[in-house]
Amino acid sequence: MGVMIGLEVHCQLNTESKLFCGDSSDHRGKEPNECTCPICLGYPGSKPVINKKAIEHGMRIAMALSCRIADEMFFSRKTYFYPDMSKNYQITQYEIPLCSNGYLTVGELKVRIRRVHIEEDPARLQHVGGDITNAEYTLIDYNRSGIALAEIVTEPDFTTPKQARQFLEILLSILEHLGVYDSEKEATIRCDANISLDGGERVEVKNITGFENVEKALNFEIIRQNGMKRMEVVVQRETRHFDAEAGNTKSLRKKEYEEDYGYIFDPDLPTIRVTAGWLESIKKTQPELPDQRVLRFVKDYKIGDYDAHVLVYTDKNLADFYELCCRKYGKPEVVAKWTMNYLLKSLNWRRERINNSKVRIDTFVEFLRLIESGKITERFAKELIKEYVDTGESPAMLAEKGAQELSDSDLDVVVEKVLQENRKAADEFRSGKEDALKFLIGRALAATQKRADPNRLRDMLLKHLNASIAQ
Amino acid sequence: MVSLIRSLVKEHLERLAAGDVNLDDFAPRVIEKARSMQGRYSAFITINERLASEKTPKQQMKLPFSVKDNICTRGLRTTAGSKILDNYVPPFDATAVHQIKNAGGFVIGKTAMDEFGFGTFSTNCAYGAPKNPIDPSRVCGGSSGGAACVAAAAEFPHIAIAQSTGGSITAPAAFTGTVGMTPTYGRVSRWGLIDYANSMDRIGVIGKCVYDAALGLSMIAGYDPLDSTSLNAQKTDYTTLIGGDIRKLRIGVPKEYFNGDGSAVVKKNALDLLQRLERFGVVWEEISLPYTKYAISAYYLIALAEASTNLAKFSGLRYGMEGDLDGNYEEYFADLRGRSFGEEAKRRIILGTYARMSGYRDAYYIKALKVRAKIIAEFKGAFARVDAIATPSMPIIAPRFDDVEKLSPIDAYGMDRMTVPANLAGLPTISVPSGSEGGMPTGVQFIADHERDGMLIALAGACEA
Repeated sequence: MGVMIGLEVHCQLNTESKLFCGDSSDHRGKEPNECTCPICLGYPGSKPVINKKAIEHGMRIAMALSCRIADEMFFSRKTYFYPDMSKNYQITQYEIPLCSNGYLTVGELKVRIRRVHIEEDPARLQHVGGDITNAEYTLIDYNRSGIALAEIVTEPDFTTPKQARQFLEILLSILEHLGVYDSEKEATIRCDANISLDGGERVEVKNITGFENVEKALNFEIIRQNGMKRMEVVVQRETRHFDAEAGNTKSLRKKEYEEDYGYIFDPDLPTIRVTAGWLESIKKTQPELPDQRVLRFVKDYKIGDYDAHVLVYTDKNLADFYELCCRKYGKPEVVAKWTMNYLLKSLNWRRERINNSKVRIDTFVEFLRLIESGKITERFAKELIKEYVDTGESPAMLAEKGAQELSDSDLDVVVEKVLQENRKAADEFRSGKEDALKFLIGRALAATQKRADPNRLRDMLLKHLNASIAQ
Repeated sequence: MVSLIRSLVKEHLERLAAGDVNLDDFAPRVIEKARSMQGRYSAFITINERLASEKTPKQQMKLPFSVKDNICTRGLRTTAGSKILDNYVPPFDATAVHQIKNAGGFVIGKTAMDEFGFGTFSTNCAYGAPKNPIDPSRVCGGSSGGAACVAAAAEFPHIAIAQSTGGSITAPAAFTGTVGMTPTYGRVSRWGLIDYANSMDRIGVIGKCVYDAALGLSMIAGYDPLDSTSLNAQKTDYTTLIGGDIRKLRIGVPKEYFNGDGSAVVKKNALDLLQRLERFGVVWEEISLPYTKYAISAYYLIALAEASTNLAKFSGLRYGMEGDLDGNYEEYFADLRGRSFGEEAKRRIILGTYARMSGYRDAYYIKALKVRAKIIAEFKGAFARVDAIATPSMPIIAPRFDDVEKLSPIDAYGMDRMTVPANLAGLPTISVPSGSEGGMPTGVQFIADHERDGMLIALAGACEA
């Protein structure tokens, strides 16, 4: 049987207001509990009113995952007592989800999507003086309470943690391209992962944030459960919590039976009918999906399939940036080369994403033009880009600063020093071995932190070498 | 046709129009009267003592209203009859309250009720049971008992905003000899109503006469985007329909409502009233509604399933009763709820939770929903033939407090058998006095098809002529 992994992905939807009230979903820079009202606080007498936009976002996800969308849908109350729930029930979809029976292809693997439904996010809990199991006390921030979530549930089709992670990365790109998810609004994607080994009981790891952590948590579980098997301990059905700092999972509660949420239909919310016209209007305005975008990049920009994949799937904003640069600068292959290799490398090194970095389209195009005009060498450009990503300053100015610092007399010193330190190579050159010059140029270039033009260094080296021969 | 019943409200409005009312001391004098009434009948949970300090100019406080205590009033304590909301002061007005305030109404107080509406007699009360003004040894009926009590006892112009889930307007109206109008589900916004069973909860009115009820309904009805189940209908002045043509209206008399137990006098009074209506050209015939016998079971399963989720939010965290922060979350709220809910509330939470637990859900909750659909279909079938259905409002006259105590919960639930079917179906009903039995009033209830509230007002108006 091997490893069977299934995922439940909770994605905060990019709607201006919450799922059932007018409060803002965007609580960047807000005080805790500032974006709240009687509805999302569950005050007596308040009633929910559905935000149609959230349903439409759900429909877009459904279409992207080739799901069947229900003709009629309604909401239910899932009842359980927990301090993050303002009403002690969550408004969610139970019997009939927004859509079901879809799939998403990850490389060779066709991952079946069981269902996607819309529900409200609970409040955020902040455990003080410990973690969820032993905190001294817990603070509640209802800013998150009532934000629209899409829950995407897969069948247990993954056999490795890595596949699960790859699935999540592709899914994220789809959600970003659909415009239903915006990571810049501090929106989150949280995951529950269930895993069973060799047909054993299913263990659920709850509330994992970050795709890297999903892979880590699952790897930990495989090791843990295999260890139990070796000790002949039976794996029990249970819910576990992933501790990202410790990198391990802890038991939250044994699950001897399916939890009983006592679902009823939410009588405050009438049935929503999905008409053909409504579906058509969503379909017509469905944005380009990442796989379509890759094909277009290959076709229109004449770049390689791999390059297109990197540009599109790394971060939707990076792909947008790439396209805007192409529009401004032309030469899509050149833009691709510099964007996906050197720019991305510098961003990754700084752990930044394009939209929260100092990189701007204008200055990046300026950078590309510097290379094109020959004002800077490619070699120097590869160094310059780091400084540019660090500071965001004009590449032309940065280049000028760099060039100014290396006057002819500066280079004289450098070249002289290189020849002193590499006498053997210098002698070899003098005795006719042309390759030795390349070596010396490389040394000199390194000595200038690659700022100097190699052609200039070559001339300078020859001048010095010839001078010494003449002596 | 001229109504034989005096409307204090109508006379007051006429005096207002003529400039004969001194509004500077009108509201305070009404509050004073409410206070003295409270001593005799315990009709209020809270009297609006803050009225004097309210910002609204006295000149705009023209018509007194009482509001059932499960309807939110901004700045005025609202308990829904429960200790768990003992100190709760809502930050917003219910839409119905907002509308009466905008139309020159003012709130004299919050009326007594069974805790969260859980009762037929207004005896499951955390703040004292209201007494029947006609015989204070008897109950007012429930759960809008305080509302009917004020409507019956007030010697000043007044309209009571009441609320029904399974018959909580009809029952107290019948027991106190007042008129209770329960409009079509959705006609009056539920925004600001503290939920019992959302799929049945309706805000309505109780008045001394049909005019008062019609005026009250005209003021509070209307579409409200804050309530997703609100009916998108035109505003109507229902008072203009009183005295309208009711010739050829066909009234169905369902035998299932007249055959069973209950007072023979109550039944006879209802039939006698129908005979009196014949002089206006109304015709009536016997009909049969066989699903009626399943209504009580279906009602209690659905209503309590919904109620048990609605009451989950009361956990002493954000509003209402608070306890000492001892123990963990579960210990905290279990202790607080254990101390603050009354016996009937606990019974209904347990029953409602049971009905929706996996393993029982299909047999109880889901099946009850199917029965409900059958009952609605049966009513719809009847309304293809008749315009209205007439039944006794309650099987009996208002019982004495000590007799109510002797009833088992099942017997008490059975008292709702006249009112529950129409409430399951969201149909408009009106209860009007039909006569008396031993000095106590009896009531007749008319049920109409959805959105035919206006026809009911006309029919009820004729009962007063």
